[in-house]
Order: sequence, then C-alpha cells, then structure tokens
Amino acid sequence: MYNEIRVFVENKPGKLSHVTELLGNAGIDILALDIADEGQFGVFKILTAEPDRAKQVLSDAGMTVAFNEVACIEIADQPGGLVKLAKALEDANLNLNEAYGCILERGKRALFIVKGENLEAIESAARSAGLMPLDSL
Amino acid sequence: MDVSDQIGGRFVRMSRDEIADFQGEALKHSVAQAAKSPWYAAKLKELGLDPRDIKSADNIIKLPFTTKEDLRLSYPAGMLAVEPEKIIRMHTSSGTTGKPTAIFHTREDVDCWAELMARCLYIAGARSHDVFQNMSGYGLFTGGLGLHYGAERLGMWVIPAGAGNTARQILLIRDFHVTVIHATPSYAMHIAERMVQDGEDPKRLGIKIAALGAEPYTEEMRVKLQELYGFKVFNSYGLSEMNGPGVAFECGEQRGMHIWEDAFLVEIVNPDTFEHARPGEVGELVLTTLRRDGMPIIRYRTRDLTRILDGVCPCGIAHARLDRMVGRTDDMLIIRGVNVFPSQIEEVLMRHTWLGGNYVIQLTMREALDQMTVKVEIAKSTFDGSIETIRTQRAELQKELREQVGFTVNVEIVEPGSLPASEGKARRVIDERGGHV
Repeated sequence: MYNEIRVFVENKPGKLSHVTELLGNAGIDILALDIADEGQFGVFKILTAEPDRAKQVLSDAGMTVAFNEVACIEIADQPGGLVKLAKALEDANLNLNEAYGCILERGKRALFIVKGENLEAIESAARSAGLMPLDSL
Repeated sequence: MDVSDQIGGRFVRMSRDEIADFQGEALKHSVAQAAKSPWYAAKLKELGLDPRDIKSADNIIKLPFTTKEDLRLSYPAGMLAVEPEKIIRMHTSSGTTGKPTAIFHTREDVDCWAELMARCLYIAGARSHDVFQNMSGYGLFTGGLGLHYGAERLGMWVIPAGAGNTARQILLIRDFHVTVIHATPSYAMHIAERMVQDGEDPKRLGIKIAALGAEPYTEEMRVKLQELYGFKVFNSYGLSEMNGPGVAFECGEQRGMHIWEDAFLVEIVNPDTFEHARPGEVGELVLTTLRRDGMPIIRYRTRDLTRILDGVCPCGIAHARLDRMVGRTDDMLIIRGVNVFPSQIEEVLMRHTWLGGNYVIQLTMREALDQMTVKVEIAKSTFDGSIETIRTQRAELQKELREQVGFTVNVEIVEPGSLPASEGKARRVIDERGGHV
C-alpha cells in the first residue's frame, strides 16, 4: 500500500504550475500525476517518492491536501507487461476504480497505480502472479 | 396559564376575539393620542386624515408608516404627545449616523412596560421566588432598566449587575443562588468559556432560565448554551422604539415569541409593495403602540423580517407568535422576484461541516434571468481526497439550497483562503446584475 497525494484545486489556469512549482522548489520529484476533473473544481493525484514531505509542503502553502491509499505494482516496461497483472486481477475477480501508470526505467520497469474496493486483495493477486507491490518508491 | 393581574393577567388570558375587540378601541385611542404630537398632527393633516376616521383595527392600513428616519427628523420632541411634565423617563437609541432617536414615557407607560416585561419572564417560567441577575448595561440602553422594572414587578430578587466584569458576575451568581439571568448570547457564551477554562462546570451555577436577546444568534448557539449551563434559553425580541425588551418573548414551548397584542398592533408587510403579507409569509414587521400615551408610534417599520407562526400555541396563550428574525430589510435580496436573505443561505451552509465558514453570494444576469451563485470554501480538515465525496456533498447542498429559496442556485466550491475573510454581511453579497431594481 502506498500514499498518493490528493490536492483539491479550483479549475483555473495556473493551478498545476503552482502545485508543481511548490514541489519543485522543495526538491520533490513527481513520478506520476493524474487529474480528476469536475468542471468547476478538480483533484490532482500526485505520486512522489516522499509523500509525507510533499503533503507537508503543500499543506504549509495553504493547499487542501489528503492522502489516498493506492496499490503501486511494479510491472515490466515491455509490450504485454501489463497483461500479467490484468489477468491476475481478472482471475481474482477484482474491479478497479481508478488506474494510471508511469515508467520507472525505460524498457525495464514500470509502475501501475491502482485503486479498488479491496487493495489488499489486489496486492495479493499481484504477488501470486509474481509481481511486486511497492511500499516505498 | 394562571397569571396574576399584577402583571396583566387579564390581557394574557385574552382570546383572539377579545384581542381583536380590544385592539379596535386601543387603536382609536392611540391614533387620537398620537394626533396630539406636532409630528403626527402635521402628518395626518397632510394626508387629510382625521383620527375619527379610524373605527377599527383593520383601518390601520389608512395610516402612514413611521420610519427610523421620521424618528430622527422629529428629534428631539416632535412626537411627544403629552405635556412635558407628565414624562418621567426617556431612552435613546444610538443612531449609527448622526442624531439619536428619543422615546418618552409617562408614569403609566413605564408601568405598562414593566407589566409587559414581567409577563415575558413569567411565561418563560420565572416566579417571584427566583433570583434575577441582569447583565445588561443600564442607562440610556433599554435592556437594563427595561428588564429591571419587569423583574421587580414580578417580585424577583433583582441583582442589577450591569454589563461586564465576568469574575464578579460569576461571584454574584454563586453567592446569591441566581436562577434567572438576562444577557446577550455572546456574553453568556463568554462566561461559560471562562468557567470551563478555569476547570469549572457552568451547570453547577444552578441557573434555570436565561433570557437572551439584543443580538441575533442561531438555534445551534441556543442548543450549545443550554447544554453548557443546563438551563433553558428563551428568545427575547424588543426594540427601543417599542419601549425596548418586553415586546415579544418565548413561553415554555420555546417555539416562537408571543407578542403582546394588547400593547402592539402587529402587521407583516411585503417590503417591496408594503401590502400585508399572506398568512405565514415572511415580511417586514410593522408595529403600532397601543398602550403608550407619552409617545405613540404608528405603523413603525422595524426593518426586521419575520413571520407569524401558524396555529395555536400549546401553552394556551392566544397572542400571536413571531418566528425568529430571518434578517433585516437592509440585507434582503430580490432574485427572480423572490425575496432571499443571506441568513437563509448561511443557515444551509452551516449544516455542511465539510465547508469552511467563508462564502460569497454572487448575483449575475443571464438571458434576462437572475442567477445566484454561492461560492464557498472547502474545509481543509475534512477533505478525504475523493472527488466523488465532494460531488455527492455538493449535490446535496444544491438540493437543500433549492428547497430553501425555491430556485436553482449555482454552487462553486473554492479553495480555503481564496474568499475575503467574513466581516459583516454586506461584503458577502456581490451584485453584478447592473441596473437591476
């Protein structure tokens, strides 16, 4: 299980640059970022190697921040790399609510970040398929 | 209710029919009396009205309104309706701009006021064996002497503590086993907070009844105070133009304030058309004194917005009940022809703990139709990271706002600290409709 950062933002120009600048100035590397949009407002989902510090930095700057538990599963960065995980989830009859991905090392390692009803079941399905859920990045 | 005539029992016990009969006669008298003052004499002449044209309470609509501005213009003594030697007391209300307004009382007027105030305390449950501490400022402000005379009339042991000096207030309450207090809601809260800070329990003071007024407060605040002290809080309504406190007060039911209709003729008018509001509809409270000879006031526009509660009060008193004041006419917005008060919006917002305290009401025009947008800050502490949660909560908020005002309200959820900090009501409303009347 891993803590993804969630930031509430109004849907206005300049919000993404503000958040990324705050993290950049604090020397925090963003591994992946996804935006959930509700028209007038939205939520940034940010994956970094330092979730605690990232949350603190954003919170200190007055942003509305929360942690969100996700499963980060390492997969091979190659054609069909995601198939193994997808099949394992299918076999365990598990649904996903949210998912996105990022490359850790081009051609070698990638990360699949998922959220579902039962994170533990997702992680154990991954493990049984020989894939590694990560607790730190 | 067994009320002695010493505190106007015969008036308290009146049926609706008896009240109506009494009001007809009382209004005739009051108008004739008002006509003795230079101000109303001139006013009636200007309108070609003779006091004898008033034959029943319904005829009130023939008479002109009196506004705060009229009181200022007639200052100092334009509305004095008796020989000056008959006056034994005056009070003034502090005008926010320029001149104050002055109200004069004969001996009978002061006596009547004490009777009205005593009734108020009585229906809330106070009795002659109670000990009463008045934490209102004395002097020109009516909350001091008004409550004081009423409490004495009822026969209570009265402690005229006045305002401030919290340590002494607590000392007196303890040492003299005070059972009834009068204070502003914020001061009652201040005392409780002070005691809790000192590791003491306000419940142990043993106060049973609190008459709270002179400033607006929410039902939540009442509940909180009742929990803290273990007493019952009774809403009080009054204004210096109508003597002061003692105009309307809650009975043991705590559901609306009985307004003494033998002393005040009540009208609720639509603040735009000045016509009588439909039964149960919110409008501006307009009051006429029926039992004050020193300075009768006819159809005084209080600028307070309320409605008369429907139905018969289980306490048995037939005098009408006023609902909580929803606001002032000064705050009222007209949106698509509907009267809306910022307090109505605020009431809904306060129920949503996922929101912070700051909000702004923005009015715009789109395709010749008024649009209302409520911008409100999300609360940092309850954000759980889920966009679905906010979506659901916002939909619920929008539904409640629609139920409250009767049309669809746009809701924008904004970041904490992005709206101007709340200071007073005026800044919360941004009207961008331009030229809209």
